[in-house]
Amino acid sequence: MKKIVKVTTTAAWLAATFVASLATANAGEVLDRVLQNKTLTVAVGVDWGISSHLDENHQFVGYDIDIAKRIAEYFGAQVQFVTPAWDVITSGKWQGRWDLAMGAMTPTKARTEKFDFPATYLYGQYVVLVHKDSKATRLSDLDGKVVGVDEGTPSESYANHKLTPDWVGAKPIEYQFTPGAVKTYQVGNIALDDLRLGDGVRLDAYVADGSTAGGAIKSGYPLRQLGDPLFYVPGALAVLPGDKEFNEKIADAVKQMRDDGTLSTLANKWYGEDRSAER
Amino acid sequence: MLYQDTVDTQVLVHKPWFVALIFGIVLATFLMFDLTSTSFGELMRPVIGEPAQSGFFGRFAIALVVAVAFCANVVLIGFAPLKVQVAVVWFELLLLFLAFFQSFKLSLPFILANLPYLITQGVLTTVYVSAVSLFFASLIAIIAAVAKLSSNGFAYAIASFYTSFFRGLPLLMQIYLIYLGLPQLGIVINAIPSGILALSLCIGAYMAEIFRAGILSIDRGQWEASRSMGFGFGLTMRRIILPQALPVIVPPMGNTFIAMLKDSSLVSVLGVWELTFLARTIGQPTFHHMEMLITSSLIYWILSGCLEVAQSWLERHFARSKVR
Repeated sequence: MKKIVKVTTTAAWLAATFVASLATANAGEVLDRVLQNKTLTVAVGVDWGISSHLDENHQFVGYDIDIAKRIAEYFGAQVQFVTPAWDVITSGKWQGRWDLAMGAMTPTKARTEKFDFPATYLYGQYVVLVHKDSKATRLSDLDGKVVGVDEGTPSESYANHKLTPDWVGAKPIEYQFTPGAVKTYQVGNIALDDLRLGDGVRLDAYVADGSTAGGAIKSGYPLRQLGDPLFYVPGALAVLPGDKEFNEKIADAVKQMRDDGTLSTLANKWYGEDRSAER
Repeated sequence: MLYQDTVDTQVLVHKPWFVALIFGIVLATFLMFDLTSTSFGELMRPVIGEPAQSGFFGRFAIALVVAVAFCANVVLIGFAPLKVQVAVVWFELLLLFLAFFQSFKLSLPFILANLPYLITQGVLTTVYVSAVSLFFASLIAIIAAVAKLSSNGFAYAIASFYTSFFRGLPLLMQIYLIYLGLPQLGIVINAIPSGILALSLCIGAYMAEIFRAGILSIDRGQWEASRSMGFGFGLTMRRIILPQALPVIVPPMGNTFIAMLKDSSLVSVLGVWELTFLARTIGQPTFHHMEMLITSSLIYWILSGCLEVAQSWLERHFARSKVR
């Protein structure tokens, strides 16, 4: 009998989760949900370097986190963080599980079919890292070499010569090298570890986000930056299309932060330079 | 010997030809690698001089020392009683692994600072997800196994489609399908229930085959005898077939449980803060991720060690009838 009770309660619990989640999925506009629950659910990562990571007390910290908290404040809501993988975020199938994605998504044309980008809040730069012992002196020395990139980021598109700079205010891209092979990594430190093994052991170079690159060199990785930054990309907040009011309200929140200098203060605090405005 | 008996033979590791063979293999293997630039070379410095300049002589000397040490070790262990042998070999292999981890130059304070969180958040979630999935998987498996053995075409078709589908698709795809695909049908499940559902369905498919094999291993005559005595299906299963099938089922079940414990790490893509997720992410901003990856590997090992102990206890329990 006890067993039956246990099974029934588990089944009931599962059914309840189903029904509860069905209800949220069919609820009205995103804005209504946020205002009603007084909770803004934001997708962030814990492996996004300076932008978003855990501190020694395992609390979320970083530039993205500070921005998200201030946006929630603007809505008069509590902020709640969830940490889906980047490819789950970019799949666009959020289903009301979260309302807003940080992560400085590049607002490309292909992505505008799946997302709305209310505001740009970060300008990222991509640089090429090589091992200290590398003989390369110019970017063109990397022609025919093995180059590591991060999956689903502009670095991957750049290395494959498929970066379409179709965001607002984009400058034309000049490809400065043609890799012999491109190795794609899940976002993370594994590419840096591969490069650290030695020049050409697994990688000859790695196209890294500027802040990751700086952090790695500061932590004593035997790497150096090759040449000037490859290109700058705007990073935007992403929401699902369909809720214009929510979209506008987020844009207002970011505009207010930009106007009163909060954005550049935060960027200086985390990156040591003002990355919130275009150069 | 496969089974312990009282026939006295010379121990294999004390036969000269066998020791010579081992010696040859180890020597040849170590000659293939140039270890003069590693700590082996430093240890051998008094014999071979400056390791970098020792050339082939240095290489040969290192391989020779390793081969002699290895053979002496094998021969000496051969004299010990069985239990001591097992303990000594375990200890030695463990030391080798520790030396391997040592070579990463890990930061111990970082590990100690994060270990409590890794256990209270990561291990707890991993164990919770695995245990719940294990329960549901067993339930699904036994139903699927019986359906697959039934003479009802409908039940057989469903069960065989189920096992084929869920064994054939990569578990990661199943997780994505349930988390991202089901909402297309209007069913939105959160990350942890999605992971549990995917794990239960996938592992259930594997276990169904294990259960089926266990049931089939019981001689047909048992079934017929039991039926002729007037036992129904349920009674035959409960009293005759399953008690005899369980000892057959336990070792592969242990395998599946251990595999599942580690497969549960795949739900980390949904942002479930289990052991692998934390291991991948905690050390990242400070570039201490190797520390966390190795620590979590060891935690997984300890967890599967617990399952191994449980398995061997069950095996002993069911083997009571076979003890002489």
